[in-house]
Amino acid sequence: MKRNYVLEPLGEMKAMYQAYHEEMLELAKKNGKIVLLYGDFPRGAAGEFLQKEHPDRIYDVGIAEANLITTAAGLAGGGYLPFTHCHSIFAVGRAYNQIRQNVAFDKLNVKIMLCNSGMLWPFMGGSHQMIEEIAALRAIPNMVLVSPGDPVSTKKMTRAIAEHVGPAALRISNPAVPTVYRDDFPFALGKAVTVTDGSDATIISTGMMLSDALEAAETLAKEGIKVRLLDMHTIKPIDEEAITKAAKETGAIVTVEDSSIIGGLGGAVAEIVSENSPALVNRVGIKDRFGQSATLPELKEEYEISARYIAQAVRETVKKK
Amino acid sequence: MAHDAKLIQKLAEKAKILRRDAVEMIRAGELGWIGGSFSQADIIAALMFHHMKHDPKNPDLESRDRLIVSKAHCCETVYAALGEAGYFSKELYKSYGQMGGTLQAHTERIVPGVEYSGGSLGQGLSFAFGEALAARIDAPKDSSGRPTPRYRVYCIIGDGESNEGQIWEAVMAALHYKVDNLIAILDHNKFQSSGTIEERMNMMPWVDKWKAFAWDTVEIDGHDFEAILTALENADKVKGKPHIIIAHTTKCKGVPSFEHKNLHFCNISDEMYAEAMEALK
Repeated sequence: MKRNYVLEPLGEMKAMYQAYHEEMLELAKKNGKIVLLYGDFPRGAAGEFLQKEHPDRIYDVGIAEANLITTAAGLAGGGYLPFTHCHSIFAVGRAYNQIRQNVAFDKLNVKIMLCNSGMLWPFMGGSHQMIEEIAALRAIPNMVLVSPGDPVSTKKMTRAIAEHVGPAALRISNPAVPTVYRDDFPFALGKAVTVTDGSDATIISTGMMLSDALEAAETLAKEGIKVRLLDMHTIKPIDEEAITKAAKETGAIVTVEDSSIIGGLGGAVAEIVSENSPALVNRVGIKDRFGQSATLPELKEEYEISARYIAQAVRETVKKK
Repeated sequence: MAHDAKLIQKLAEKAKILRRDAVEMIRAGELGWIGGSFSQADIIAALMFHHMKHDPKNPDLESRDRLIVSKAHCCETVYAALGEAGYFSKELYKSYGQMGGTLQAHTERIVPGVEYSGGSLGQGLSFAFGEALAARIDAPKDSSGRPTPRYRVYCIIGDGESNEGQIWEAVMAALHYKVDNLIAILDHNKFQSSGTIEERMNMMPWVDKWKAFAWDTVEIDGHDFEAILTALENADKVKGKPHIIIAHTTKCKGVPSFEHKNLHFCNISDEMYAEAMEALK
């Protein structure tokens, strides 16, 4: 199976928050407008740099997410480029109205880091596993929402949202994830990456499910099912063209996410496919349940989103064509 | 030191104009927030026509002082002050609350001179805090190492609005970062949407609350220009902490037959219009 832009074998395991900070350190050194804001959250490499070199460009507002987001909006109003850092569950869950009203409404240049996003936050349990952030944020006008799948794409997307003028949120998963991409992989905001070519079915994955989706595509290739794998790293604006093309050319789509399929990537893809080119859409993701304390492999199995479940969803969908 | 009588007279005249123009806007939109618009009118007049540094011909000037009206439903006297100052033509008043109109029912940043899009209460002080922080980044330091901010940020908050927890998140953070270019003004008109403050959510004692957060706290008559100007000037002198001016005001101040009534959100009838124009001559 030919894989585009992918390391063979996959590269080092790295936490996405670390990858984000490696890129942010470079950005913050060059761009004097960048201000890092925290809600009682680990500083990371870029934060430690600013604390030492530019203490007036780093603030922690404590455990107060509403104030975190609106303060960032005020800093953007004052001409700066703030990045906020707190758990996704609290950024989107507790400060939804601040994101909507203070940031998106005025297209203010605020970047919201959705730290420990999605279901795949081991140990912490259902109170902290954020399954509805995609549904909530993609419904807000003016928002850009990105959801990278590995450390390399995390860095590229960090740079991309820093360069984009306007509100943006970046999903950053908790676990270390394998490096999937080569450094030279082409990345553009809103343009899905075709990781593998295929015409029997399409897997559309987002976020850290990328490596599981790739594993599923490989398993299926051995069985003779040629799968196109699209990495939908930008949830909004979503790549409608790639989705419609996949529906027309492969006739079977499986979406993969560690978020609720209700309004999540699965919902977004189904909306586009049903309007443009009806095809079967099977949504692998969190099916209307809260999370729980567990290890990463246990979570993937219990919520039926691991590679074997993705592969099985593809087999079933292809059969129905 | 008392202020020049001519200045006080000028501000009183301006405040009358703001209230009259607000009445016209509410008539045009057939709805509006007369009570809170009128209670804050004298404070806005003092800020916009004397104390704040701003240039209507250059609304994006980086060094301008900012006015964030957190109780953004009370937009009519804000729009009136901007129109009177020359940020835009008073012709725009006719668009108030109209489909496609520039002057929306809550302040929006698309309007020249408006710094903050409100409507969701309790958030303006956080926004003002962020703007105040921005004024200090890369600012030169004074002899004691404190940044000398490029501008001041004034934030009008409501007493009903102070029910919102986020107000107190901002209060906590502004003190932590010693943001002394942030001046909050509480329009303490004793009413909230559906009743009196005392009935709905009694937050007494107000002064003690702000003092407990160690803000520079002063309590004034919010319709006494001498007191308003003195409080604003004193705030500039106190360094190292944010400032709160607790301004006792009267809902609907300016039209005696409206005062002390909770005319929160309503249209203005022909009879009310005649009373208002007589009182605001």
